[in-house]
Amino acid sequence: MIEIKNVSKNFPGKNKAINELNLTIPDGKIVGFLGPNGAGKSTTIKMMTGILPIDKGSITLNGYNIEKNALEAKKIFGYVPDQPDMFLRLKGIEYLNFIGDIFEIPKEIRQERIETLTKQFNIYNALDDYIQTYSHGMRQKIIVTGVLIHDPDIWILDEPLTGLDPKSAYMLKEMMREHADKGNTVFFSSHGLEVVEQLCDEVAIINKGELIFHGNKQEIREQFQSDQSLEELFLELTSDE
Amino acid sequence: MSKTWVVMKTMLKMQYSKAGKSNSQIWLYVIAGLFFVPLLFFYIGIINNLVEALYNVLQPLGQDSLILGLLFLGIHMLLFLISFITVLSAFYFAEDIESFIPFPLHSYQVLLGKAANPFLYLYLTASAVFLPAFFFYGAISGANILYYLYGIIMFVLLPIIPFTIAAILLMLVMRFVNIAKNKDRSKVIAGIFSLAFIILINVLVRLNTNSGDLINNLAVFVQEKDGLLRMITSYYPPAFFSTMGLTEASSFSGFLFLLAVIVISAAAFFLFIWLGQLLYLKGVLGIGAGNKRKSSQKKIKKQIAARPVWLSYMLKELRIIFRTPTFFMQCVVQSLFGPVFLLIILMLDSGDLTGFMNMFSKKESMLILFIATSVLVGSNAASISSISREGKSWPANLFLPLDPKQIFFSKIAAAWSLNLIVIALVLAICVFLFQLPMDMILIWLILILITSWLSSILGTYLDLLQPKLNWTDEQEVFKTRFIGLIALIIQVGIFGVLVLILWNIDAIQGLYTSSFVLFIVIVIATFVMSKLLSKKIKQNEHQHI
Ligand SMILES: Nc1ncnc2c1ncn2[C@@H]1O[C@H](COP(=O)(O)OP(=O)(O)OP(=O)(O)O)[C@@H](O)[C@H]1O
Ligand SMILES: [Mg+2]
Repeated sequence: MIEIKNVSKNFPGKNKAINELNLTIPDGKIVGFLGPNGAGKSTTIKMMTGILPIDKGSITLNGYNIEKNALEAKKIFGYVPDQPDMFLRLKGIEYLNFIGDIFEIPKEIRQERIETLTKQFNIYNALDDYIQTYSHGMRQKIIVTGVLIHDPDIWILDEPLTGLDPKSAYMLKEMMREHADKGNTVFFSSHGLEVVEQLCDEVAIINKGELIFHGNKQEIREQFQSDQSLEELFLELTSDE
Repeated sequence: MSKTWVVMKTMLKMQYSKAGKSNSQIWLYVIAGLFFVPLLFFYIGIINNLVEALYNVLQPLGQDSLILGLLFLGIHMLLFLISFITVLSAFYFAEDIESFIPFPLHSYQVLLGKAANPFLYLYLTASAVFLPAFFFYGAISGANILYYLYGIIMFVLLPIIPFTIAAILLMLVMRFVNIAKNKDRSKVIAGIFSLAFIILINVLVRLNTNSGDLINNLAVFVQEKDGLLRMITSYYPPAFFSTMGLTEASSFSGFLFLLAVIVISAAAFFLFIWLGQLLYLKGVLGIGAGNKRKSSQKKIKKQIAARPVWLSYMLKELRIIFRTPTFFMQCVVQSLFGPVFLLIILMLDSGDLTGFMNMFSKKESMLILFIATSVLVGSNAASISSISREGKSWPANLFLPLDPKQIFFSKIAAAWSLNLIVIALVLAICVFLFQLPMDMILIWLILILITSWLSSILGTYLDLLQPKLNWTDEQEVFKTRFIGLIALIIQVGIFGVLVLILWNIDAIQGLYTSSFVLFIVIVIATFVMSKLLSKKIKQNEHQHI
C-alpha cells in the first residue's frame, strides 16, 4: 500500500508542480495514473521513489516512510523510470548482476530468474552487449527485468508500456495482473487510455499538480452518470475551460 | 551564412548551458577569481618588462623585429597545441554532431559549428598572450596607427593557420585509426597518440637546441637587419610575413606582407573546409559505438556471480571509467602523462638517474618525493568526477536501496584504486631508477596511500557541492569546470605550506621525525575531510542535486 499525504512540490521557477496531493494506492489493485504532459505524474513518482525530496507532506510505502526509513522503503519497491537510458556502458548481464548484488539475491535464484525473464522478453542473446547498443524497448526490458529479479512487493512504473512491442507489452500486462492478484501493489502512469481502461482496477487523474479524480470504473460511471468512455472523461476533466 | 551562425551558437550554448546549475556555489568562482586577479597584474607586468628589456638590447643591433617574430612563432605554436587538444575533443570526442545531421545543413556549416568552441579557446589564448605583448611593443617602438590596424586584423586571423594545421593532421590520423571501425577504441588511440605527440615535440625541441651550430649561425645572422627574424622563422613563413607586416607597417611593403598573411589564412580556411568535408564528415559518421557480438549461453551463466555491495558498486565505477573514452583519458591516461613526461625529460637531461636524489638529505628527498606525488595524486580527475560521471544514471543511486555512505565509500575507493596505477609507476621509478633506500620508499608509500585517500575524499566532496549531471556529452564533466584546479590548489596549498615549514625547521631533523609529522597531519586532514563529507550526506545533500 502506498499512502501519499498532503504532498506538495515546487521547482525553482515553477511553483506548485504538485499541490496538496492525497492519494492512497491499495494492495491487490492495479492503479493507473493519468494526466496530460507536464501534469506532475513523473514528479509524483520520483518523490515516491526517493529521487526528489518532498517539500511538504509525506509518502509511506507499506508503512515505511520514504524519507525517514529510506533504506527499508527502497527494499520493497521496484521502479521503472520513464527514461531507461541508464548504465549505458555496462553490459546487460552486468547491470542485472549489479541489481542482484544490491538486493542480495542468491546466485542460484538470480541465474534462474535472469534466464527465464530475459528469454521471455527475448533479450537473452543481447545480455553480453553494452546497454548502449540496445534499442529503447530493449533498454526498458532490461530495467523491467532488473525489477522482477528482486521480486518487490510494490511496483512503481513510469510509462512502462511506451515503446514495448505488442508481445512484450502483453507479457508485462499479464505480469502486472498476476502480481496484483497476489495481493501486491501495482502503480503505473500511462498515456494509453485503452490500456488503462482494460487493465486497471482504479484510475487516478492528475492535472496541473492537483488530483482531479480517483476511483474505480464503477465510480466513474456513477459520478458522471453516463457510459462515457475513459477518453471522453479524460478530455472533459482536463480541458482548460 | 546566417544558418552557420545559428549552428555555431547552438553548439556553444549546449556546452556552456547553465541549466540545472544552482547559483549557491558562486564562492567557488570567487575564490578562483581572487587567485586570478593578482596573477593577472603580475603577468602583465612581466610581459611589459620583458618586451622593454628585449627591445633595449635588440633595437641598437637592428634586430628588434625578433621580438615580434618570437611572439608570432610562440603564439602559433601555442595555438597549434591548443587546437590539437580542442579539435580532438570537439571533433572526435563530442557526440553532439548526431543531433545536427538530420537537419538540412551543408556539411561545411556543421563543420564550422564544430569549430566554434575550439576557436573560442584560441581567441581567449591569443588575447591573453598576443595582445599585451603586441601593445607594449607598439608603445615602446612608437608605432603608428597602421601598426595597430594591421595588428588587429592579424589578431583576428591568428588562430586560422595553427587550427588548420592541427585539424588536418588529426583528421588524417583519425581517418587512418578509424579503420578499426570502433569509435570508442579510435578515441582512446587518438588521445594517447596526441599525448605522445606532445612528448615527441618536446623531445625534438630539446635535442635540437643542444647543437653547437647555433652560435655560429647567430654570428652570421646578426650582421644584417632582421637577420635573426629570418633565422628563427625560416621554416615557418606565416610568422615571418606577420612580423614584417607589423614592423614595416608604415611603408607599402608592410601592406603587401599583410596581404600575404590574409591570403595564406584564407587559403588555410578553405583548405580546412574542403578537407574537413572530405576526411571528417565521411569518416566520423557510420562508425558503430560499441561492438556487437553473439553471446554464448555458457558465458552468460559464468558472468552471474554474487558480490558484496561495496565491491559490486566499485566494480561498476571502474568499468564505466575504463569503457568510456573520455573518462579513461581523463582519469587514467592523463594522470600517467605527468610522470612519464617528467621521466623522459629527466632521462634526456641526465641519462643515468641513480643517485639523482643524493644531493638532498634524506628528509629533503622525502619531502620532495611527497609533494611531487601528492600533486600527481591530487590532480587525478577520478575523484572530482565521482558524482558528475553518473549523468542520467544518478537517480538510480537514489531509488535503489543503497546506503549513501556506501555509495560514497565505493566511489572514493574507485578513485583511490585508480591512483594506485600512478603510485605504482612512481614506486618503480624510485626503486629502479633513483634506487632510493628501502625504508624511505616504505614510509613514502604509506604516506602517499593515505594522501590518495584524502584527495579522493576531497575531490568527491567538491564534486558533491556542485555536480554536473545534466551533460549530454562526457566532455562537459571536465570542461568549463574549475573544480579540478580548486581541488589541486587546496591540497597542494596545504601540503606545500606544510612541506615548506618542515623543510625550514631545523628542529625537526631526519627522515623519521619529519615523516611522522607529515603522517599525523595527513591523518588528521583525512579525518576532518571524511567528517565534512558525512555531514553533507547526513543533511541529504546528495538528494538535492
Ligand atoms: N527538474 C525540474 N525543474 C523544473 N521544473 C520541473 C522539473 N521537473 C519537472 N518540472 C516541471 O514539473 C511539471 C510536472 O512535470 P512531470 O515530469 O511530472 O510531468 P508528467 O506528468 O510526467 O508529464 P509527461 O506526461 O510528459 O511525462 C512540469 O511542468 C515540468 O515542467
Ligand atoms: Mg512523465
